[in-house]
Amino acid sequence: MFGYILKRIGVAFLTILLIMVITFLLMNAIPGSPFLTEKSTPEMIARANAKYGLDKPLIVQLGNYILNYLKGDLGTSLKMQEGTAVTKIIFQEGKFALSFRLGVCAVIVAVLIGIPLGCLAAYNRGKWIDSVLRVITTLGVAVPSFVLCALLLIFLGVKLNWVPVISGSLETGKSYIAPVLGLSFYPMCYIAKLTRTSMLDAINQDYIRTARAKGLKTRVIIFKHALRNSMIPVITYLGPMTAGIVTGGFVVEQTFQIPGLGKYFISSILNRDYPIIMATTVVLATLVILMNLVVDIAYKLVDPRISLTKKGEN
Amino acid sequence: MKKFIALLLVFCMVFALTACSKGANNGGTPATEAPAAEPVVITACIASEPETIDPTMISSVDGNTYVNHLFEGLLRYGSTGKAAADDPKMNSAELELGQAKSYTVSDDGLVYTFTLRDDIFWSDGQPVKAQDFVYSWQRVCNPDQAADYGYLLADVSVAGAEEVYYDGAAPDTLGIKALDDKTVQITLLAATPFFDQICAFGNLMPLRQDVIEAYGDEWTSPEHMVCNGPYVMKEWVHDSYISMVPNEKYYDQSRIGPDEIKWYLSDDENAILASYKSGEYDFIETFPSDQIASLKASGDYYVLPSVTTYYLYINSENLPDWRVRAAITLCIDREHIVENVTQGGQIPATSLVTGGITDSAGNLWQNGTGYKEIMWAGLAAMYPDADLSTYAGRCELAKELLAAAVADGFDTGITIPYRFNNLGTHGAIAEAVQQDVNSVLGLNMTMDSTEWQVYTSTLETDRGWDVCRLGWQADYLDASSFLDLFKTGGAYNFSHWSNPDYDALCNKYKTMAGGAERDAVMYEAEGLLFSEGGFGVSPIYYYTNSYCLNKNVKGAATSTLGFFLFNEATK
Repeated sequence: MFGYILKRIGVAFLTILLIMVITFLLMNAIPGSPFLTEKSTPEMIARANAKYGLDKPLIVQLGNYILNYLKGDLGTSLKMQEGTAVTKIIFQEGKFALSFRLGVCAVIVAVLIGIPLGCLAAYNRGKWIDSVLRVITTLGVAVPSFVLCALLLIFLGVKLNWVPVISGSLETGKSYIAPVLGLSFYPMCYIAKLTRTSMLDAINQDYIRTARAKGLKTRVIIFKHALRNSMIPVITYLGPMTAGIVTGGFVVEQTFQIPGLGKYFISSILNRDYPIIMATTVVLATLVILMNLVVDIAYKLVDPRISLTKKGEN
Repeated sequence: MKKFIALLLVFCMVFALTACSKGANNGGTPATEAPAAEPVVITACIASEPETIDPTMISSVDGNTYVNHLFEGLLRYGSTGKAAADDPKMNSAELELGQAKSYTVSDDGLVYTFTLRDDIFWSDGQPVKAQDFVYSWQRVCNPDQAADYGYLLADVSVAGAEEVYYDGAAPDTLGIKALDDKTVQITLLAATPFFDQICAFGNLMPLRQDVIEAYGDEWTSPEHMVCNGPYVMKEWVHDSYISMVPNEKYYDQSRIGPDEIKWYLSDDENAILASYKSGEYDFIETFPSDQIASLKASGDYYVLPSVTTYYLYINSENLPDWRVRAAITLCIDREHIVENVTQGGQIPATSLVTGGITDSAGNLWQNGTGYKEIMWAGLAAMYPDADLSTYAGRCELAKELLAAAVADGFDTGITIPYRFNNLGTHGAIAEAVQQDVNSVLGLNMTMDSTEWQVYTSTLETDRGWDVCRLGWQADYLDASSFLDLFKTGGAYNFSHWSNPDYDALCNKYKTMAGGAERDAVMYEAEGLLFSEGGFGVSPIYYYTNSYCLNKNVKGAATSTLGFFLFNEATK
């Protein structure tokens, strides 16, 4: 297991390096400049490029990025917070922490509600409760998040005044409600659908019949035997979902005016703030890779039959 | 599995405890504490996160607005106490003495000498000195600083600015000197009638060299920033809000209003409007265009003139026959665009120089005596039988001009690509123009929409467009701010239109003192833009500044350049 994790970390480094190269090439391929404003001229942009070393050959710039990253220096913002260290923006000013806090809440809500709902639907297959849950979960995965967020904003914030319209830095419990709902609704519904499908599959397995024949209670059969084995597809989804939710709540952050990383990532692309684009991409990629590693290890915990290595070593 | 669930539960409990403790810290008030008077807090949202609030580096309206609250120049914009338009809560702000208590201008208009007030201090208690202005002006002009407005001082004829900015001469050769701690002297190469406006320009606020050198780019963070304006920055939560509180060292405490001004940073129009409706914002100036009608009906929506023109470039290289360019300009139904597309009270343009700018006699530029509707005046002289006062009449002339061009070989089978950036109403305006060009002239106009950065950075490098859009806001209230755009080789002359006579007139008014004679030269220049050989530009409308302001707020102000001021507001 330890050897496997080390190997995966090595591969992760190479993956991140590749992501850096691709991101660097892509962001330099699209037209624009961090110094482009409504009143900037080509001369002004050339001067600013020279000031920040953007006039050097691309290969030199890329080499500098990689060397600096190895030293832990993610560079400084060129536009959005000109001159401020990117590490300070992302970590010390709390952008990552804010997105992380919001994302973790959303993951918890999605998992704690989604899985029981899926079990409930499977347990009551074909009954009215299953039908209602199927409609809700189908609606949940079909409605775009910007529509849901706008509805939450208008009804919970403006009409009913139950929650603040501006969630800001999530300083009160109330300010969590609408963004967490907005962020968790889709994964919650998706998890419920996944759980229902895999649960129904598990219920028809021989070992469940055996358990029934032994006279175990249905509740024990569902939650102790069937649920554990139907968790594999859910866990597969949880890894990238967690990374996505924690860092990719752009619409939610934009709608509820939360100064998190998702919103900042999009702004950095629109503003061509290259160091921020690079840093946020690397942070997100690292998180996705990390979550996939966690998922692989979780597989092993859930189902000991799964082997993490080629030779089937444990 | 049990371990997994246990871990999950522990995580939930830790998180819940953390959240609860946060709530208690923020929301809890000790029971023994006596209730304090409610502080007056004005909340406003005028834009998303500013690129910078370093006065030297700002170039946006929002950046200028923040800087105008934190800093004060030799002159300043102060509330007149009179309503700016039909909203009694919003006063006009006019130019008045700021950090200078007086100034003199030499007889030839070339030397300005400012005497600073004795009671002006920085927020850290240090006195404001003449050297702080010299440092700031040299900093903006220094090409190494790469400021967007680095060219400004050269543009307004400050001595030595051209050499410093364009040729890399030493910044201390700039024509601004500190004669002593309280006297600033500025030398110009040519009389600049609007130079007093420059002395209140956001980029030219005084700055503390020692602070900037000590903290580098981070000098604008709240813990380091030292200000000389009515407010100081208390907090800047990036992408969330900027909080300003009164500057206790400001000399004119009687003109300080709210206990806090909180500028929320957002660009989501729906969220901004929702926040205004829920009472969380007192002031907003962006709204979804489909909500404007209901806002107007609610009585919360006000419109002020703006010194900005929305116009189209018509590519003079791709469409070399001026009659085709004139026909496109004539056939655009500007009234339809402002009434049905933009709906924000914009005014159909009849000149490039925007509404709000006046000539030396104080007449609105587009209504100047003898120069009304300058966009059509040249054609009216050439085609006296045409009725250019009505849209139908203009369409008739457009057809006539196109027919003449066709007779000389213009191929009506070509497509006319219209390029625009995919934001706001630009697409809808493009569709309206496309409809007019197609229905009136029978020409095939195609739409080419791109993201803003791609759009602006490829206007010069990819010239496959025939028509494209841009808006221009005046930097100062003078027609030259617009006319300079179309000089041959100008950075913003994207249509590559060129006329030596026009260039000569531009160079001429640059050297003239203000007055009717200079106005005439500028009017003549603008006339050339819309005469035979012209029409590289097609103005569409003059922008307006629309806003919603909480009914309880009084004493807010707006300058003619469109900056809103809340430092004297009450609630």
